[in-house]
Amino acid sequence: MSTTPSPTTPPHGTSSRFIPRPPTLLKRLADSWLGLRWLIMPVLVALVLGALVHLVTVLILPFYAEQDGYARLAAVGEPNEMVLLDDPSAKSGVLPRMDPAFVTAACVYDLSEGPLKVRAPVTDDYASISFFTRHGVPFYAINDRTAGRDMVELDLMNAKQKAGLPENDEVTAADQLVVESPTDQGIVLVRALVREPGAREQVRTLVETAMCAPSL
Amino acid sequence: MAGSFQRTLPTLRALLLILTLLLGAAIGLALTWTTTMGGYGPGVVQAGPWRVWPKAGTEEADPYARAALARTGELPLELADGLAFIATVDDAGRALDGRCELRLTGAIPQARYWTLTVTDADGGLIEHSSERNGFTSAEVVWNRDGTLDVALGPRARAGNWLPTGGAARIGLTLRLYDTPFGLAARDSDAPVMPRLITERCP
Repeated sequence: MSTTPSPTTPPHGTSSRFIPRPPTLLKRLADSWLGLRWLIMPVLVALVLGALVHLVTVLILPFYAEQDGYARLAAVGEPNEMVLLDDPSAKSGVLPRMDPAFVTAACVYDLSEGPLKVRAPVTDDYASISFFTRHGVPFYAINDRTAGRDMVELDLMNAKQKAGLPENDEVTAADQLVVESPTDQGIVLVRALVREPGAREQVRTLVETAMCAPSL
Repeated sequence: MAGSFQRTLPTLRALLLILTLLLGAAIGLALTWTTTMGGYGPGVVQAGPWRVWPKAGTEEADPYARAALARTGELPLELADGLAFIATVDDAGRALDGRCELRLTGAIPQARYWTLTVTDADGGLIEHSSERNGFTSAEVVWNRDGTLDVALGPRARAGNWLPTGGAARIGLTLRLYDTPFGLAARDSDAPVMPRLITERCP
């Protein structure tokens, strides 16, 4: 507006060089109070806050899940006792997504009173013992082949109890399988494969002999 | 006119702040919900339509795997115990439909034992008249060349057949026990898995 038209400019001003272009609709909106500029800050804040809420909820979810593995198993058995779980079916199942081809026994443990002894039978086919923390993180597993005996026997203890074991004890060194639990509370699962449905009863009878009890 | 606008401005600001906080919380919760659904987080290894989360069965499980497992209440297969491969789609990427005739074909990765389980889309067992919800490696009839063919569908078929109960969406879980495929972390480390084919749909 303030520029003085040069003498060569046609009187009707068809040259665009000296006439400012009208602002685009978006710029007009962004510039005006009813536009979009006021939205930038809130959206940024919401995104950052969303990321924070997401991270925090993912991290704390395991500690607030009310129906986690431990809670489900604690509902069907006493602490430091092995329970044979019912075979999963369409309507029921103590734990979700368990392999239906397996017979499972479980023991929720608490090591605060002292270490535990865990015993599991070896079956004709695959069998395993697996250990989980209070919040369902697996920390150790052993199968029948790695154990290589008729009956697998383990001593389960926390770090303090393990440190208190007598050193160079011949019995401790040779024959004892010591499993160190990172948490005082946790879960032991004893699982045995049923190769075909007809073998189920036999495997159940065997797995029923699995035990977990305070070691003396 | 301008005066009344000046007066309502603080209220508008407060409203905007509340909306911002609500939007943030909603975004965060929605993200948590979706990332802990239908899988166990970013540690996935893919082999065709099969997915497996080897790290979820170890102490190094990432926070997403831990959250997903805690939410469903399941205990994962410890990696030293076995590996669980899950498929909810066929080789063409089509959702597995229990009303169709499906086929699993090919070699099963090396393992001392394996089990194959038919579930609904959420991993629960399907209710149907037959007792059978899967096979173990000791039960199936193998092809001469050491490969395997399993027919899946609502109606009984000759050979290895698994009932689907006519469920609209099904899932398959192939669990390998005592297998050398342990610490695979990339798709290229994954074993060759059997193919899943949708043969006929009503």
